[in-house]
Amino acid sequence: MLWQLLPQAVLDGLLIGGVYITVALGFSLAFGVKHIIDFAVGEWIMLGAFLGYYLQGWTGLDPLLLLPVVFAVFTAVGYAIQPVIHRAVSGRRGNPVLMGLVFTFGLMLAIRGAGLTVFGFFSHSIPSVMSARSWFLEAGGLFVTVPAIRLVGFVYAIGITAVLHWVLRHTDFGLAVRALAQNRDAAGLMGINARRISSWVYGIHVGVSAMTGVVIGSIFSISAQMGGDYTILAFFVVVLAGMGYLAGVPWAAFLLGLVQSLFLVYGNPSYTLLAVFAILYLILLVSPRGLFAKGV
Amino acid sequence: MSRELLAVDQVSMIFGGLRALDDVSFSVGSGEIVGLIGPNGAGKTTLFNVVSGYCRPSRGRVRFDGKDVTGQRPFHLARLGIARTFQIVKPFAGLTVLENVTVACLLHHPRRRHARQKAWEILEFTGLAERAGRPASGLTLAGRKRLEIAKALSLNPRLLLLDEVVAGLNPTEADRTIELILNIHRSGVSILIVEHIMRVIMNISDRVAVLNYGAKIAEGPPQQVAQDPGVIEAYLGEAAA
Amino acid sequence: MRRSRALWAGITAVVFAVIPLLTRDTFALRVVTEAMMWIGLAVAWDVLGGYTGYLNFGHGAFFGLGAYTTAVLMMRGHWPFALALAAGGVLAGAAAVVAGLPTLRLKGAYFAIATWALARAVQQLALVLEFTGGPDGMRLPPFLNPQFFYYLMWALVSVIFVVLWILLEHSAFGLKLQAIREDEEGAMALGLKPTTIKIQAFVLSTVPAGILGGVYAYWITFIDPASVLGDLVTDQSVVMAVFGGLGTLVGPAVGAVLIYAFKTFFWAYLSEYQVLYLIILGTVIALSVVFLPDGLIGLLTGRGRAEAPRSPEPADENPPELREAAP
Repeated sequence: MLWQLLPQAVLDGLLIGGVYITVALGFSLAFGVKHIIDFAVGEWIMLGAFLGYYLQGWTGLDPLLLLPVVFAVFTAVGYAIQPVIHRAVSGRRGNPVLMGLVFTFGLMLAIRGAGLTVFGFFSHSIPSVMSARSWFLEAGGLFVTVPAIRLVGFVYAIGITAVLHWVLRHTDFGLAVRALAQNRDAAGLMGINARRISSWVYGIHVGVSAMTGVVIGSIFSISAQMGGDYTILAFFVVVLAGMGYLAGVPWAAFLLGLVQSLFLVYGNPSYTLLAVFAILYLILLVSPRGLFAKGV
Repeated sequence: MSRELLAVDQVSMIFGGLRALDDVSFSVGSGEIVGLIGPNGAGKTTLFNVVSGYCRPSRGRVRFDGKDVTGQRPFHLARLGIARTFQIVKPFAGLTVLENVTVACLLHHPRRRHARQKAWEILEFTGLAERAGRPASGLTLAGRKRLEIAKALSLNPRLLLLDEVVAGLNPTEADRTIELILNIHRSGVSILIVEHIMRVIMNISDRVAVLNYGAKIAEGPPQQVAQDPGVIEAYLGEAAA
Repeated sequence: MRRSRALWAGITAVVFAVIPLLTRDTFALRVVTEAMMWIGLAVAWDVLGGYTGYLNFGHGAFFGLGAYTTAVLMMRGHWPFALALAAGGVLAGAAAVVAGLPTLRLKGAYFAIATWALARAVQQLALVLEFTGGPDGMRLPPFLNPQFFYYLMWALVSVIFVVLWILLEHSAFGLKLQAIREDEEGAMALGLKPTTIKIQAFVLSTVPAGILGGVYAYWITFIDPASVLGDLVTDQSVVMAVFGGLGTLVGPAVGAVLIYAFKTFFWAYLSEYQVLYLIILGTVIALSVVFLPDGLIGLLTGRGRAEAPRSPEPADENPPELREAAP
């Protein structure tokens, strides 16, 4: 009986894991390039979700069509904020990473407070035409349901990952980003405008996170309090992957999705977070550089 | 040769396929000043890191005063009597000069008050006393290099590893630092010194070892090493590159 | 200078000691009691955050751990309050060792993330466990004596402050912490064991939090995961310490009084806008980082320790006139 649920659990886990890739991707990019831990990552997701929610209310368009708008708006927001972060981390205080952490922590509090003030405490959803559809598959006596919207979320995540990968590998911009991640001083010597590139990186991180918020809103629900949960997920994925190691992110995200969905089916879902935390602890204890990072 | 204090025995260090140190052996006798030279990237700092416990060698042993100390952590080695300076100086920027040296004095004077007294003595000895109350970040390069020596000296070391403490100083400052090094040596501390400036190495060292591409290519009294064809080639090669 | 500081500390302590003799207003007493608690929490946070340079974003978890330990031992184990309180402090310290072992070996970013996650995990644990009462929380035997709690808080916070003052400003330990904050690698060369020292600092920072949590539980007589394990304890401690001045003891204490006073007014007069308070907290801390990196105390004393100008000389480059190419 129970093992018959396994294919469904694995499928759900992989589909949700896909979305977690995009939850953590921008965050990992921002850390890799700027060594900034963005405590506000979950709040960007929340803000993006609500922009999608209100835009849908005004325009009546399908949320999936609104993704580019949300991305553009929040990329601009992130681009505009980065100089302030830069100022915070380049002050005369000895430890810039510390100041960056405190700054994004403050940003998180302020955005969460603003979200609760403006959006209230209620939950909403951002239904897409795909939200109601699903496919039913049967093979060898095993059944799985594939909700269309989750498949869309998965495809979205893989698409974003592929685009980002392509941009980083094959464009001048990507080369500059990688140079900056490797060595700030050398990048400066190569004539790379470190500040502008950093602004773009943070902008892309905020934009992708916000867009992911809309996708999450069409799969699950959204609320002004949702940010913290997704920040934890992003942390988990990024530590599992190895901090700043982008290539590990998808694998870590899938693993997290699987852990979650297996707990949902076979365990007590209220222990999910505890299990996730226990795994996080063990990883830090045994392999602090993450499971998927090679070398240094 | 005097009694052997530090012995590096066939040490190799491999970083992801790159051989930073290749089967290096040499020793420092009690009361000696040994110079370590070589072109940039020859592995001098890596060797320092191995001897001072910052890197565990891929192969080979390090012995200090007859005991095997291979792979021991820096804080253990500091306790045993190995002190080092850093090529890229590492002052505690937010602390004053006096506090910087006091931290180092805590190793043998666990009470803060006693460590402070000892730190004053060290500051007098190293000529930093009038800058004691200033934040370390405000020192000039010469001051920071001197602070590095002061901190290392505070550990009461038997072996002092000096990593380019003269490079970058103007001639007057350089002479004063060399004088300081000789004073330290006279008080009974053995010294292993890495330096780019040949004049310094040749004048103060009892013996010189030369590294090139991670391997030891020569060792002996300064005059003999200076005439070694392999050494000249290594250096000319660098100049030509 | 040093004598006058001790004098000021003494005067402050005496002023706090006589307040209950001057007023019978229980609200005022309650406000001052809680203000003292926040002084203790902010100062304790700063042991690790300001002196050692490791940001604990899970301070509230240790406060809550102390609160729950005290509550559970008193209610289920029928322990006397004093013993339960001590156990709360011990458990908070033990939790710091367990949480610190894997994370304090790593760079500060990991530690910040891990402690933040820890706080959520502990809250979740209190929600799912039976003996903590789950989401319903726990009630403690009411002991309604505001004066008792006032003086208990006064005594505890005074002890915490004095102990930290001695350890951080007058003994070797504080200097070691600052050395590690400034440069861990360099500190190792001087014989310091960073991981051990950091764990000691973490314990020193969390034991007071646990004890204060225990007092809070017995004083307020009701705790639940949202109140003692929510984000607010951490958020406020961090803001108080950063706003007041990292790496000092007086700074976080001043920050605690100001922020708590502000919060009290704000919640009293604008109670329907409580969430606005989060915006203000967040803005205060973000602006502090950018414009007041040394906090209020840096502004008042004008001491910018790490400020002195960088050396005007170029970096470690050998000037050409000193370089001799070949022997």
